[in-house]
Amino acid sequence: MHAALLPLIALATGDGAHAADGHGAAHAAAAYADVGTLQFAKATVDTSYGWLKWMLLAPLASVALCGAFAMLKVRGRLPALFTVASFAVAAVLAVTVYRQWGPTLFSTHAPLAVPLMDWLTFRWGDGPFQSFTANFGLYLDGISILWILFVTVLATLIALYASEYMESDVKAGYARFFFAVSLFVTSMLILVMSDNLVGLYLGWEGVGLCSYMLIGYYASQPGAVAASKKAFVMNRVGDLGLALAIFLIWTNYGTVQYDGLFQAIASSGAGTVQGSWSKAAIPFLLLLAVCGKSAQGPLFTWLPDAMWGPTPVSALIHAATMVTAGIYLLARMAPFYTVQAIGSEWAEPALLTVGWIGCATAFIGATIACGQFDYKRVFAYSTISSLGYMVMGLGVGTAFGGVYYVFTHAWFKALLFLTAGAVMHGMAGQVDFRRLGGLLRVPGFRITMLCMLLGCLWLATAPFSAAALSKDIILYQALTSDVEQVRWMGWLGLLTAGITAYYAFRVWFRLALGPVRIEPGPDQHHGHDDHDHGAAGHGHGGHDHGSHGAHAAHSGGHGHDAHGFHPHPPGLRINFVLVVLAVGSILAGLPTYLEKSEGFNWIQRFVQNSSAWIRATGGPEHGQILGRDGHGTLFVLATGVVVAGIALAWVLHAGNRALGDRLRDSMLKTPGLKWLARGSEHGWYVDAVYNALLGVPLWLGAQVLAFLDRFVLDGVVFAAVGRLPGFLARVFQPLYVGTVQAYALTMAGGIALIFAWVVWIWLSGGAS
Amino acid sequence: MIPHAIAMLPSTAMLPSTAMLPSPAMLASTASLGPKFALIVPEIVVFAGAVVCAVMGLSQSRSTRAGVPWMAVATLVGTFVVMLKVWTPEAAAAAELPMPLLGKYVIALLCVVGVGHVLASAGSVDRAIERQVASGTGAFDPVRVISGEFHAFLLFSLCGAMLLCHATDLVWLFLAFELCSLPTYVLVAIGRGADRSMEAAIKYFFLGAMSTATMLFGFALLYGATGTLELSAMREAFQMQAQVGGIGTVAIMGMLFTVIGICFKLAAVPMHFYAPDVYEGASNPVAAFISFVPKVQGFVTLVLLLGTVGWDASGNAAIPQVVAAVLWMVALLTMTLGNIGALLQRSAKRMLAYSSIANSGYMLTGILAGPAIGVDATLLYLLTYGVANLATFGSLAAIERNGHEVDSLDDLAGLRVRAPMVATALAIGALSLTGIPPLVGFWGKLDLFMASAESGQRALLVAMALNSGIAAFYYLRLVAGPFVAEPTPRTQGVAPVQSLWPRVSALVFAMGCIVLPFAANQLKQESAAAAMNGPAAPPAVRTAEK
Repeated sequence: MHAALLPLIALATGDGAHAADGHGAAHAAAAYADVGTLQFAKATVDTSYGWLKWMLLAPLASVALCGAFAMLKVRGRLPALFTVASFAVAAVLAVTVYRQWGPTLFSTHAPLAVPLMDWLTFRWGDGPFQSFTANFGLYLDGISILWILFVTVLATLIALYASEYMESDVKAGYARFFFAVSLFVTSMLILVMSDNLVGLYLGWEGVGLCSYMLIGYYASQPGAVAASKKAFVMNRVGDLGLALAIFLIWTNYGTVQYDGLFQAIASSGAGTVQGSWSKAAIPFLLLLAVCGKSAQGPLFTWLPDAMWGPTPVSALIHAATMVTAGIYLLARMAPFYTVQAIGSEWAEPALLTVGWIGCATAFIGATIACGQFDYKRVFAYSTISSLGYMVMGLGVGTAFGGVYYVFTHAWFKALLFLTAGAVMHGMAGQVDFRRLGGLLRVPGFRITMLCMLLGCLWLATAPFSAAALSKDIILYQALTSDVEQVRWMGWLGLLTAGITAYYAFRVWFRLALGPVRIEPGPDQHHGHDDHDHGAAGHGHGGHDHGSHGAHAAHSGGHGHDAHGFHPHPPGLRINFVLVVLAVGSILAGLPTYLEKSEGFNWIQRFVQNSSAWIRATGGPEHGQILGRDGHGTLFVLATGVVVAGIALAWVLHAGNRALGDRLRDSMLKTPGLKWLARGSEHGWYVDAVYNALLGVPLWLGAQVLAFLDRFVLDGVVFAAVGRLPGFLARVFQPLYVGTVQAYALTMAGGIALIFAWVVWIWLSGGAS
Repeated sequence: MIPHAIAMLPSTAMLPSTAMLPSPAMLASTASLGPKFALIVPEIVVFAGAVVCAVMGLSQSRSTRAGVPWMAVATLVGTFVVMLKVWTPEAAAAAELPMPLLGKYVIALLCVVGVGHVLASAGSVDRAIERQVASGTGAFDPVRVISGEFHAFLLFSLCGAMLLCHATDLVWLFLAFELCSLPTYVLVAIGRGADRSMEAAIKYFFLGAMSTATMLFGFALLYGATGTLELSAMREAFQMQAQVGGIGTVAIMGMLFTVIGICFKLAAVPMHFYAPDVYEGASNPVAAFISFVPKVQGFVTLVLLLGTVGWDASGNAAIPQVVAAVLWMVALLTMTLGNIGALLQRSAKRMLAYSSIANSGYMLTGILAGPAIGVDATLLYLLTYGVANLATFGSLAAIERNGHEVDSLDDLAGLRVRAPMVATALAIGALSLTGIPPLVGFWGKLDLFMASAESGQRALLVAMALNSGIAAFYYLRLVAGPFVAEPTPRTQGVAPVQSLWPRVSALVFAMGCIVLPFAANQLKQESAAAAMNGPAAPPAVRTAEK
């Protein structure tokens, strides 16, 4: 059956579902390999691009400044200013390098390598495997350029948004917040731009650290602290996989620098993986790392809890950028999956596991999202689900589809989170959509709700939306596969698309339509470190609204008891960012729309000129689904499930809410269906299962060990071995009398012993 | 000057007949004072700065006296700059130093870490009397203020350690060695102004004198065996002896006495006994100082002297087997006894004293691995140890309990609440000393491990690994106490010291532990260059002169 996977690889390269001629890759022949002869273009070293270091140094300068501000307790907006400015510099540089290097990259297919600084070199021989090098250098091929483009642009926008959003914290945490955000962007750029795995690992740990710091930003809330710890610990599991993978990669291929590594994989050829457990383990260990960082498979439960962080953080780190680092890793390390797929029995397990984990995560995430009442958590689960799609895309063999979805998803999910943040910001932290309603008609919230509508349409993959264009590539790839299992993934993915449409609009219909209903939240959930917001008590009344004069009318008294509560509509900066992101979400579909006139798909060209693009021989076929033309059938099917999902949401949550509520109540009363509603609401009890499977045994184990420690180790072993130091100390105690004479005598004795020993050596003829 | 120095040598040394004295070589060395003098400018700067400090400290004006530490800082910064200008490879080659770039590395290290030491002591010297003067309850009394002497002696000691690197003969080596040592005894005595520090200083001085006598005895034997005081000439003599039947017994005995004498400065077995008592008696900043600078002093001397017995640039370690065996045993015992001793301590300072003993043991493994492989690792480790040690000791110097120095580990419980910055610096320093990967201490240890592995010192490698594990047990107390334990009533009075600078110093060096690894390759290259035996004293020229 594994032979059947080869066409799968062939299709991996193939065309996108909507590619005009499906052969956009024809001119990119040198960048990828034929079966059996993997080939990678060697990177062009060009030191004239040394200015790229400013992409890292600009955010790093912001880190230093914000850190200094935090230590010196500087108040005011300076940290935000520096952060936004530094990100903007990075964004401009990213665009510049794309414009300068892009044409060369697309014609020569050779990545750009810019050595910056020697870092680590260990050499203990001249042969292969006798040195270890990891330097600071940049490696820019299609996917790294794509990543730095959207990471820097989105980071700039979201930092601008955060400058307003975090204003209630100007006192204590403002500088600390921007310190962590700047450090995050620095680490993320190191992660995607580094030319070796050690640099990638450095960035990987860096973004994990920042994620931890920012989830736990409201450190006075026990929930936030627990959530940050959970994220950190779960990510450690994945990071262990990455570390082990890097070790194995070095022991097997003798280098961790991408350029040499890809050459080594290519020259080691297909089939060398067979019989080498350590080579075969690499893709699985990498997958473990992906599961941690991108909240996949068994390790996804940290992401919903990560919503304890401030919303801009959720948007930037836990939706748009950091969680896609796993996808980047898969794409970057795609050669490991492909080399195994060629003529090797190991191919199927690795790629199929990737596919199944992604597919299952997409499905499970979507089903849990249906049961949540906290709209931010719905979006969190939708992120898990979308990430599942991306991983599935790489697993079924279309890196193009997966990466394209990363790109479109970054825009609309950031948009969704920021609209959610705007609502929370205005409603004193209310996150339960049952307590809100009709917001479309609340003055000041129209832009927010319309932007959220766009985001929900995109999340639901409405036809012709950018998200649909990218997601359909994945589904098409899966559904037209020769491998039965992969087709099953496709069908499950299609079902998930329907569920996604339902839960996305469940949120929007409840929030935006119906009678106006506003119950302010506790302003603690997304709350603030300290609640002494001046004389007006807590709430937003006390602090200066500064530039957005639109709120002058409200500035009298925002006490936020339920009676006198005035929603606090988003100001200029928030609305500006929302509109820009909405436009960006729409424009993210341009690569496909312009395909006909340009003759290529912009994103596809990026992927083609990267390590993710492995092409087997055999032209791409026009696949068939259910015996009909693939593209047409998929379009009909996908549109059908999406429309059905939205329609269901309309009936239950807008048209006839009473029916929806009755349905839920009756479900909860029916014994056979109760578990469905409750299970979905509680995330299928995954946390409880983990607690039972891991937490409880570990706790028990800890108790046992504590018992052993106290009675066996302390009691028995310590009595013997553990007392040794004490015994020795007592033996030597007389030597430490504390008087000069005694010390002098001991030293002299020591010298005498040494010479006695030397004489003994001489006498026994030991040395010259 | 040289005849005088010879006259100073103990008369018990077997003086060879004057005919054997290589007078042409001595003439050559006098002639080469020019280029040597060019290199010595940094030390002149330190010396001048020290004198200025001593004078400033006696000023009637309070603000002038307050400027003494800053004068010391400025001196060290100036020294660093001057060194960069002066110490070119050409100048070093002209001065015919045995290790041309060693001085550059050591001076840079001492200047950077020295600034940290000066800052760590800021505000603690003369605190009581300055407060009285400020409040008008006491008058300025030149006998009671010690800030001038304190900083002057600190700089003199650094000056001595720097001068060591210029040594081309035993006399210079000895004078510089003592210039480095003697001020440290004074520092221990005056740093705290308590009876215990007097006691510590007396111990330190007498035992130090004994070790110096041991070393000097070794020098005498070496002179007797080779008939020369010049390092390069000694080296030739040893090479000739090695070709005809091996290095003589007298020379080896001399080498052994010298090594054992130096062991005192390293706080290595069997000369380590004083360390816990003296560290405990000294003030925290002074304890930080004497746990670092004497180590630099000792290792530089050791490297220079062992260089005479036949290390060559190609990296052949040709230390006589017996000397190697003794060093091996000393290294093993030092790291083991140091770590075991530290396990049971309740006093943070005593614990760190034992840790400093153990660290000397690690560093000796690098010396054993030989010049091309291991000496650079030792030099790098000196740097990583110096930085992390200052972060740790500096943190202790930056806090006080009810106005007294913090010493017991119990005082550190819950330090994160009392002084978050200091607790962070302390934890980072301790983790770096443990050798936790991203921190600088890891890279130092890694280099030593690799040197041991490469030179085939398997047993030492294993011992070092085991010892690092043991060391984690007590180092982590410095992390767990401040961060895991809850504050106790006892720690009620624990607070940062009034002066900001000790905190800054600890924090900056803790940051150094994080940032320096990014320059790992540069540091490795610098230490490798410093460890290189230069083309000192081309033998062909010398024989032609003879």
